Amino acid sequence: MRNISLIFKQFSRSVLLIAGLVVVGLTAHAQADAAKGEAIFKAKCTACHKIDTRMTGPALGPQLTEETDDAYLTKWIQNNQALIAAKNPKAVKIYNEYNQAGMTVFAELSDADVGNVITYVRTEWKKMQADKAKAPAGGSAAAEDKGPSSLVIWGLLGVIVIAFVVILVLNKVIATLERLLLNKQGLLPEEEETEEKAKTDRLAVAKKLLKNKKLVFFIVLCGVVGLGSFSWITMWNTNVHQGYQPVQPIKYSHQLHAGAMKIECQYCHTSAFKGKNAGIPSLNICMNCHKSVKTESPEIHKIYDALGYDPNTAKYDSTKAKPIQWVRIHNLPDLAYFNHSQHVKVGAIKCQTCHGQIQEMKEVYQYSPLTMKWCIQCHKRTEVNGKGNAYYDSILAAHDKIKKGEKVTAAVLGGIECAKCHY
Amino acid sequence: MDSNKKYWKGLEELNKTPEFVEKNKHEFAEPIPIEEVLSGGGLMGKTPRRDFLKALGFGVGAVTLAACQKVPVHKSIPYLIKPEEVTPGIANYYSSTYDGSAILVKTREGRPIKVEGNPNDLLSKGGLSAQAQASVLELYDTSRIKDPQMNNSDSSWAAIDAFVKNELAAIAASGKTISIVTSTIHSPSSLAVIADFIVKYPAAKHVQYDAVSYTGIIKANQNSFGKAVLPHYNFDKADVIVSFAADFLGTWISGEEFTRQYVSNRNNKSLEEKKMSRHIQFESGMSLTGTNADVRIAIKPSEEGLALVNLYNAVSGTTLPGSKKLTTANADKAIMLVAAELKAAKGKALVVCGSNDVATQVLVNAINSLLGSYGNTIDLDNPSRQYAGNDGAIVEFIAQAKNGQVGAAIFLDANPVYDYHAAAAVKDALKNVRLKVSLSDHADETTALCNVVAPNHHYLESWGDDSSVEGYYTIMQPTINPVNNTRQAEQSLLVWSDNPVKDYYTYVRNNWNNSLLAKGGLSGQAGWEILLQTGFVLTAPVAAGSYSFNYDLNAVAQTVLSQSTKLAEGNKVELQVYQNTAMRDGKKANNPWLQELPDPVSKVTWDNFAAMSPSDIKKMGLEEFEVVKIEANGYTVELPVLSQPGQAPGTVSVAVGYGRTAAGLVGNNVGKNAYPFLSFRNGTFQTAAAATVTATGDIFPLSQTQTHHSFEGRNVIREATFTEYKKDAAAGSGKEGEEEKMFDLWENTNEDHIHARPVYDWVMAIDLNACTGCGACVVACSAENNIPVVGKDEVGRRREMHWIRIDRYYSFSQNGEAKVDGRSGMVTQEKEIAKLDDFSNVTVVHQPMLCQHCDHAPCETVCPVLATVHSSEGLNQMAYNRCVGTRYCANNCPYKVRRFNWFNYWNDSRFDNYLNNEHTQLVLNPDVTTRFRGVMEKCSMCVQRIQAGKLQAKMEKRPLRDGEIKVACQQTCSANAIVFGNRNDKNSEVYKALQSERTYYVLEELNVKPGIGYQVKVRNTGTESLA
Repeated sequence: MRNISLIFKQFSRSVLLIAGLVVVGLTAHAQADAAKGEAIFKAKCTACHKIDTRMTGPALGPQLTEETDDAYLTKWIQNNQALIAAKNPKAVKIYNEYNQAGMTVFAELSDADVGNVITYVRTEWKKMQADKAKAPAGGSAAAEDKGPSSLVIWGLLGVIVIAFVVILVLNKVIATLERLLLNKQGLLPEEEETEEKAKTDRLAVAKKLLKNKKLVFFIVLCGVVGLGSFSWITMWNTNVHQGYQPVQPIKYSHQLHAGAMKIECQYCHTSAFKGKNAGIPSLNICMNCHKSVKTESPEIHKIYDALGYDPNTAKYDSTKAKPIQWVRIHNLPDLAYFNHSQHVKVGAIKCQTCHGQIQEMKEVYQYSPLTMKWCIQCHKRTEVNGKGNAYYDSILAAHDKIKKGEKVTAAVLGGIECAKCHY
Repeated sequence: MDSNKKYWKGLEELNKTPEFVEKNKHEFAEPIPIEEVLSGGGLMGKTPRRDFLKALGFGVGAVTLAACQKVPVHKSIPYLIKPEEVTPGIANYYSSTYDGSAILVKTREGRPIKVEGNPNDLLSKGGLSAQAQASVLELYDTSRIKDPQMNNSDSSWAAIDAFVKNELAAIAASGKTISIVTSTIHSPSSLAVIADFIVKYPAAKHVQYDAVSYTGIIKANQNSFGKAVLPHYNFDKADVIVSFAADFLGTWISGEEFTRQYVSNRNNKSLEEKKMSRHIQFESGMSLTGTNADVRIAIKPSEEGLALVNLYNAVSGTTLPGSKKLTTANADKAIMLVAAELKAAKGKALVVCGSNDVATQVLVNAINSLLGSYGNTIDLDNPSRQYAGNDGAIVEFIAQAKNGQVGAAIFLDANPVYDYHAAAAVKDALKNVRLKVSLSDHADETTALCNVVAPNHHYLESWGDDSSVEGYYTIMQPTINPVNNTRQAEQSLLVWSDNPVKDYYTYVRNNWNNSLLAKGGLSGQAGWEILLQTGFVLTAPVAAGSYSFNYDLNAVAQTVLSQSTKLAEGNKVELQVYQNTAMRDGKKANNPWLQELPDPVSKVTWDNFAAMSPSDIKKMGLEEFEVVKIEANGYTVELPVLSQPGQAPGTVSVAVGYGRTAAGLVGNNVGKNAYPFLSFRNGTFQTAAAATVTATGDIFPLSQTQTHHSFEGRNVIREATFTEYKKDAAAGSGKEGEEEKMFDLWENTNEDHIHARPVYDWVMAIDLNACTGCGACVVACSAENNIPVVGKDEVGRRREMHWIRIDRYYSFSQNGEAKVDGRSGMVTQEKEIAKLDDFSNVTVVHQPMLCQHCDHAPCETVCPVLATVHSSEGLNQMAYNRCVGTRYCANNCPYKVRRFNWFNYWNDSRFDNYLNNEHTQLVLNPDVTTRFRGVMEKCSMCVQRIQAGKLQAKMEKRPLRDGEIKVACQQTCSANAIVFGNRNDKNSEVYKALQSERTYYVLEELNVKPGIGYQVKVRNTGTESLA
C-alpha cells in the first residue's frame, strides 16, 4: 500500500510538474506576445492612438473590444488603404468618421506582429478598466487620509487652549487659597497698604529711571534708530515685489516643462529673442503637445475650455473661446523700457540670470528685485558681449583708444544713461 | 559780417507793446501766485493760514491713505491663437494709400499707430502732409458713427439694405433721378462700382464736386487745348515760377509733391551746383507759398486778372483790348520785369494761378503756351486725377432736387449742407428728395438730413485703390478690423445694385487682375502679393507733348477785366476766401492734432479770423482781435480781426474749413463758416467778393502762438541773397570775418574729457532754404511722441506742448533805398522801421525750432535733481520720473523749447474733448511714456527710434548704417529739410550737411554748442529789385 501511495505521489508530482511547466510555458508565451506588442505599439501607434482616449485616431481599447474580427483588423492595420479602395463597408465607415484622414500603411508588420499589438491593447484595456473599477475606493481612502491632518491641528490647538484655561483656573484657586490663609491669620487689612506701597515703589523706580538722563537718551536713541531703520527699509522696499508669487489660473509648472522635460525657453516664449516682450505663449503653442499629452488632466482641460476645444471631436469652437488671464509677475513700471532681445540675443544672457532657477520652480515667483539699482549694478559689472558681432567692432575699437585696458562693460557704452531706458 | 537785419515774429514784438513786454519777462506767461499767498493779508488773504494748514493736513492724510492701497494685480492676457505675423512689441508695416499717395502704416499688436510715407511714392517720395499724419487719429475718433441708422435711430444692415433696395426700385420705376453726390473720387475700383451702379439703375447719375474747386482749370484746358484735365505740374523743371495766388506748396492740388519738386531746385545740393530757381508770388492774403517766395507782391483780388492781362501783353508783345495799368506802381513795374524773366527762361518757366475762374485760367494757359511750358513744366498727357469736380454739376443737382426731379441722393465723402455756398438752398432742395442716404462715417451736417445712414469704414479699415496721377495706381489695404459696425461705402453700393460680385475685396482684386496688375508687369496671386508689399504700380509715363493754344483771347480778356472792375467797384473791401494749411476744406475739422497745429503764416490755432493789413486796421481804428462784421454776397459773419503783415491793403482774407456745427466733439463751433462767401459765377465757384467790414467793439482773443517763446530780439536768423551766395558760399552765415575767441566754462573738451562721444554723436542739420514751414513735422512729432493736445484756452496761456515748432519771422524786404554796409537795401535801423508804414512788403523766414541738444546745455546745469543730463551720444536726456517740476530748465533755455505739463492731459476730464478717452488712447505709441502733470518734457531726438535702430543692427550683427534711423520730423518732411545722423561718421549725410559753408548755429555766441546746425536762408532776389 505504501508503494502504491509512493507511486501515486511520484506520478502526481510529475503530472503537476508537467502541468506546471506547461502552464508556465503558456503564460510565458502569452507575455512575450504582449511585450512584443507593446514595443511595436509604442514605436508605431502612439503618434496617433491612445488606448483609452481619442486622439488623431480612435481610442483603441473600446474599438478592439467591439471589433473582434482579428483577420479584418490585421488587414486594416497592414494596409487600410487597400480595404478602403475595396470599399469594405466597415473600413469606409470609419474612414469617413475620421474626416477621411487615412491611417498610415504598415505593410512591414507581419501577421504575428499585428496579433501581438492587438493582444497588448486588449490586455492593457482590460487592466485599465479593472483599475477604473477600483479607483473610487482608492479615491475615498485618499480623501480620508487628508482628514486627520487638519483634525490634528485643531486638536493641538484645543489642547493648548484647555491647558491655558487649566492654568488660569489653578492660579485663581491658588490666589483664593492664599487669601483664605491670610484671612485666617488676620493679615488682610495690611495687605492693601502693602499694595499701595508697592504701587508708589513702582512709580518711584520709574521716576528714578527717568532721572537717569543717560538711560533715557539711550532708550530714545534706540527708539529712533529702530523706527528709522524700519521706515528706511520699508520705504526702500516700497513697490519692490521680490518673491511675488501669485496664484495662476492654471497650475503650470516650469519645473516640469523646463526642468524635467528640458523644453527650451524659446519654444514657448517665442519673442524673447525677437523683441521687447518675451511673451506669454498663446494657447496654440500649448496645443502642439497637449492635444495628445496629459489630455485627461483637469488643468489641461482649462486650456481646452479657453480655446473652445472639444477633445472628443477634436474640433474648435471659437464662439466658446475665452482668453486665459494670467497674473503678471514681473511688473516693470511703464516708465522703464526693457527689451528682452537686447539682453538675450545680443547680450547672450541666460534667462536664469534675472528669472532665477526657473527650471526648478513649480510656481514662478519674482526672483530679482527689478529695481533700478539692480539693473545698474549688472550694467556696471557685465562685460559687453561683442565677439563675432560686427556692430561692436568699431565701437570697441573706439573705446580701446580712450580707455585702454579697462573692461568694457555695458555701463561704459552708456548703459547707465537715463535715456537708454527712460523715454 | 553779421547781418543786422531786424526780424520779428509779430507786430506786438515789432512795436514792443506793453502787454508783449510784460508777458515776455517770464518764461511762463502766468505767474504762480506764491507771493500773494505768502505775503497776503494772513487770515484775510486769499488762502488763509488755517485753510492752508487744513489742506496740508488733509493732503498728507489722503496721500498716506492712498499709498496704503494694495498693489494692483496686473493681468497678462496672451492671444488664444497668435496670428503668425504679430509679435508683441514689434511693429508691422503695411503699405496702403492715403489720398492717392502710397503710404506705410505702422501697426503694433494689430493697432495702426502711425502713418509714414512710402519712400518710393511717386508724389512725395516718403514725405507726408500734416493731414495724412493726423489721419490715423481719426480711426480712434469717438464721434464716428457706430451703427447703421435709419430715420435717426440705430438699425441693422439687413433692414437698411432691404429698405434702400426697395426705395431705389420704386424711384427707378417712377423715372426720377438717383444722384450719387461725391467729392472727387480717383479710385479706379470705386469709380467702377459707381459705373456698375449706374448700369443697374440707368436713372442714376454721378455728381462730383469739390468744396474747394479746380473746375476753372479743367474747363480752361478744355477750352484752350480740348483736354478737360487737371494738368500734372513739374515745378522741378521750372527755373522761374510765377504764381498768382496759387498756394502750391500748401493747399493747391498736390502740395507735398510740389514741395518736393520746388525744393529740389533750392536746397543745398542745388545751391552747391550754383543753381536756384526763382519764385515770384502775386497774392492778396499771405499764403504759405507766399512766405517762401523770393519776391512777393501784394495785390488785390481785383488786380489779379488785370495783372495777368498785362503779363500776357508783356510776354506776347501784343495788347489785349481793354488793357490798363495796375493801380499800384510797384506791381505794375514788377509785371514788366517778371515778363522779361519769364521770356528769358522760356521752356523752363511756369505760371500758375489759384483762381477758379475759367477766363482767368485760359489767360494763364495762353501765357504758359507762349512760354513753351507745355511738354516741359506742364504735362497734359499724364494728367492729375486729384480733382475732377464739376461746380456746375452740384448746382444742377440742387436745382433738380428742388424741382422734385431727384428721387434719391446718396452722399459719399460730400457734405454740401456745410460746404456749399447756399446751404439753405441745399436743405430746401433735400426736402423734396424721397431717399437720402449718407455714406459718411461722421454725423456731419448733411448726414443729419438723411433718412438712411450707412456709415463708411475709415480708410485704414478698407480695401481699395487710388490713382492720383495718370499711370500711377496705389493699393489700399486694411490694417485693422472695423472698429465699429460700419461697412465700406463701395460694399453698400455693390449690395444695393445687386452686383454679382458680393464683396468689395473681391471686386478690387478682380479689377486689378483684369487690368491694373498687368500695367506693372504683374499677374496672378504672386503679382497681387508683390503689389501688397510695394504698394503701387507705375506705368511708364506718356511722353508729354507740347500743345498749341487755340482760343479767342479778346473775349477772355473782356470777361476778366469786367470781373475785376465789378470787384473793385464801390470802394468796398475785397474779400478773399482761402484754405489754410492745417484745416484745408474742413473735412478733418474734428481732428485735434490739426486744430492745434498753428497755421504756418498767422500761427493761429483753433480758429479762423479776418486777416487784414496793419495799415487798414490802423485806418479803421480797430484793436487786435476786435470782432468785425463782414458782409458779402448777402452773408454776414463776425470774426476777430488779425493784423497780417503782407496782406494787401484794402483786402480781407477768411479761411474756409471752420464753423462746423456737426463735425464732432472737437470740431464743433470752432471758428466761423466762410463757404457762404463763395458765389457761382460763369460756371464756377468764385472765391473773391466785394465786402463791407464794420467794427463791433467786442474782443475775441485768438490763441496765437507766434510770439510765444520769444528770442528777445536776438539774432537767430541768417539770410543771404543768391547773388551774395554765388560770390561767397558762406555769405550771411556769420563765418566771414575773424573767429571770436570763445571762453569755456568747462576746462577742455578734448577726447579725454567727459564730453567725449566715442561712438555716436547724434546731431541734425536743418536747411532753412528747404523748409517751407508747412508744419507736417509738428503733427508727425505729436503722433510719434504722444504729445497731448491742450486746447484753445491752454494755447492762449502759452502752454502748447509741441516739441517742435516752426518759428515764422517777418522782416521788411529790400526797398532798394537804404544801403547799409554796402549791401543792397536792408532796413535795419529801428527808427527807419518806425517810419515805415508798408506792411504789405515783408519777407518771411521759417525756422523749425526744437531742443538743440546743446553740448553745454544750460538746462542741465540748473536742474536740482539731475533730471536732465547729457548722454555719451550727444543727447540731452530728460528723465520724466526724476523731474520735480521746478521749471528752472525752461527758464534757462535760450531756445525756449522746453514744455511743462500743467495738467495730467491724458487723464483729466477737462481735456476729454481731445484725446482723453480709452478708445482714442489706443493711438499712443507704446514705446514712449505719457508724461504726468508737473514734469518737463522736450524733444528727445526720437531716442526710441535711435535705440530701436541700434538694436536692429546689433541683432543683425552689422554696423549701423547712415540714414537707417530717421526721426519722425525728418521722415515726414517732403522737402527733406531735416537731416539727422551721427556726426562722428565722416561719411554721413549730416556730417556733410554740417560741413556746408552755409551752416550756422543759432545763438552760437552763447557757446552752448548746440547739436543742430541751420543752413542760411538764401533768397534769389534777382538782379533787379522788383518790389
